[in-house]
Amino acid sequence: MMMVDNHLQTQTQLQSEFQYWLPVRRRFGPDDPFFASGNIERELLAKQIALNLTEEEEQQLRNLEDEYREVFCPIVGCGARLRSLAEFEDHYNARHTACCSVCSRVYPTSRLLGIHISEAHDSFFQAKAARGYAMYECLVEGCGVKLKSYKSRHQHLIDKHNFPSSFEFFKKSRPSKKERIKKTQRKQQQQQLQQHATEDEEGSSPMQVEEEALNGLVSALSKLTPSDSSPSAISFGRRHTRGLAFVPRAVHRETKK
Amino acid sequence: MADESASTPRRDPIKNPVGNVAAQRRRQLAVTVGRERREAMFRTKRLCRVGVSSDMDVPIDSDMIIEEEQSILEAQTSSAVEELKLAVAFQGKGAVQRKVNALSELRRLLSRSEFPPVEIALKSGAIPLLAQCLSFGSQDEQLLEAAWCLTNIAAGKPEETRALLPALPLLIAHIGEKSSLPVAEQCAWALGNVAGEGEELRHILLSQGALLPLAKMMLPNKGSTVRTAAWALSNLIKGPDPKATTELIKIDGVVDAILRHMRKSDDELATEIAWVVVYLSALSTIATSVLVKTDLLQLLVERLASSNSLQLLIPVLRSLGNLIAGDAYTTNAVLVVGHEITDNIIRALSKCLKSEHRVLKKEAAWVLSNIAAGSVAHKQLIYKSEALPLLLQLLSTAPFDIKKEVAYIVGNLCVAPAEGSGRSSLISDHLVSFVRSGCLRGFIDLVRSADIEAARLGLQFMELVLRGMPNGEGQQLVEKEDGIDAMERFQFHENEDLRNMANQLVDKYFGEDYGLDH
Repeated sequence: MMMVDNHLQTQTQLQSEFQYWLPVRRRFGPDDPFFASGNIERELLAKQIALNLTEEEEQQLRNLEDEYREVFCPIVGCGARLRSLAEFEDHYNARHTACCSVCSRVYPTSRLLGIHISEAHDSFFQAKAARGYAMYECLVEGCGVKLKSYKSRHQHLIDKHNFPSSFEFFKKSRPSKKERIKKTQRKQQQQQLQQHATEDEEGSSPMQVEEEALNGLVSALSKLTPSDSSPSAISFGRRHTRGLAFVPRAVHRETKK
Repeated sequence: MADESASTPRRDPIKNPVGNVAAQRRRQLAVTVGRERREAMFRTKRLCRVGVSSDMDVPIDSDMIIEEEQSILEAQTSSAVEELKLAVAFQGKGAVQRKVNALSELRRLLSRSEFPPVEIALKSGAIPLLAQCLSFGSQDEQLLEAAWCLTNIAAGKPEETRALLPALPLLIAHIGEKSSLPVAEQCAWALGNVAGEGEELRHILLSQGALLPLAKMMLPNKGSTVRTAAWALSNLIKGPDPKATTELIKIDGVVDAILRHMRKSDDELATEIAWVVVYLSALSTIATSVLVKTDLLQLLVERLASSNSLQLLIPVLRSLGNLIAGDAYTTNAVLVVGHEITDNIIRALSKCLKSEHRVLKKEAAWVLSNIAAGSVAHKQLIYKSEALPLLLQLLSTAPFDIKKEVAYIVGNLCVAPAEGSGRSSLISDHLVSFVRSGCLRGFIDLVRSADIEAARLGLQFMELVLRGMPNGEGQQLVEKEDGIDAMERFQFHENEDLRNMANQLVDKYFGEDYGLDH
């Protein structure tokens, strides 16, 4: 049996290893908040006779304990002050469940939802990314940096914002059985298509974007007149060199709308 | 003038000395639970409304008018202090009586309402006068009235309590063996209020030698003096410095007195003694190791099982909790599976789990969780006991803080004792049975909460379920209870540990391959 001084388990484990359940005796100091309600009860009981408290008042005083159990929203970037744990659930549902209408994934802010929609469901986004534009926004609000690929954005989050390497913005979904079967089939299809795909090393699985549409768009784009200052050659397929910093004026103007 | 009546000493206030109108007014006033009143409620100080001695005249109707104009009260108070000043200076015939009368008048003004005119009394210079009235050789009645005034001055705000500093050595002197019981008791009461103020004052009292005489007051078999002394002592030793508790346990006769009172005394006295034990066991490992080798655990379990007084149950339960948490000896040598005491404690704890009082449920669950952290035999005993159905029910319906404690019990029952680092082995039949009884939802609720500790518990239990349920049943159940959703919340959670844990579970058990076999 192990003893710890406070009620948090202080087992040193490798960061990568799961913190497994460990049965330990928990001990609290006399001033620990754990004992607060019992202490209050002691004083109330001692004084109630002297002060002739009605039951209602007593209940009011006891409830204060609950009411004042403040908690701060733990979702990154939120920090909202909530008066109770019950309030947290409501707050979470109201503020942090921005739901994607296409794939039903849920995001904690509308900004992140917007980023998701662009990256996962917008073929125009795909096209631009394919052309080497820095489309992948940093997820941290206020940073402003844009990266050229999902992976490089991922790396930026790790390097500059201390995100854990296990963090995946675009997490795999857990579809129903029917969808799972469809998924396996689609995966096989995609693997074939990937040979014709862009430079992007999109490590994650199935996007909902139609591959055909993507190809069509990109080829349409390739017919546009490039600006003076940029190279005219466009090419697909795997690159070993850096991507293009190519911004056709025509396209640019359009996106700005 | 107090008359020598032979009525039995009573400490509780009076059936109702107050007339109907006054009572009504008082209730009205009481309805507004203002902030000041709330603070007063929660203080560990106690106002003395009725004297400790049966000889004292009890305030009658006219004295208990509540809605006194504050300014009238203050005027009366300052003139009372004035009169006291004159009385103290007076040297002539009847000097003692004059002092006693003046003190008595001041005391009445300070005992009347919930918020006595302390500030004005202090401003008028009451303290030095009262200290003078405590001088050695003074008559008992004088000492009593002076100490009573000081008690109530010290029952309020911090700065008011601190004002008693000059009088402390005298108060301590009068709790010695030579003093009459009422005097000693009233002085102890005043000291209890001072000690209840804070660490700094406790330190001063201890260095002035308050501990020993106060402890000795606890040794007699009965009487209100013993009770007041025990209460004052509990305020004195509450730390956070453990020194006082370690010294207390070593004083001759203290351990014996604790056992005696716990065995025989009435609920009220046993309550205050139990609080002394609470602090002894919470702060001093020496005290704990001494106490666990006596009959105390047995006596505490008996009280826990038989009493219905919430006031008594709280400190008794907590003492047990501290003694179990503080020393392995308790679970290893005393609460051995097979001993009657072990069955009794589980039964008594179950009684607390069934109680309507939240404090009892929560702290009983904590105590049980520590027993459940013991040997496999302990876990099996609890698992087979009457506690089991209670645990399941509480896990799904109890308020959050109780749910969390019960979660500790359930998890501890499913995992074998820890051996070094790495993961502990599962007690499969317990785990499977709990999960099939529907406990998973309660844990997933914890995962969803904003409380870090609770979320960690929930995730840890989910790992047990995912690892330990046969045939992928764990994954199905977790998915069915929206456990995956709950884990995905952590992607954007600020706590890195929780993010990692949630991700690890999702990756391992709900990865790409999930569901493809079905």
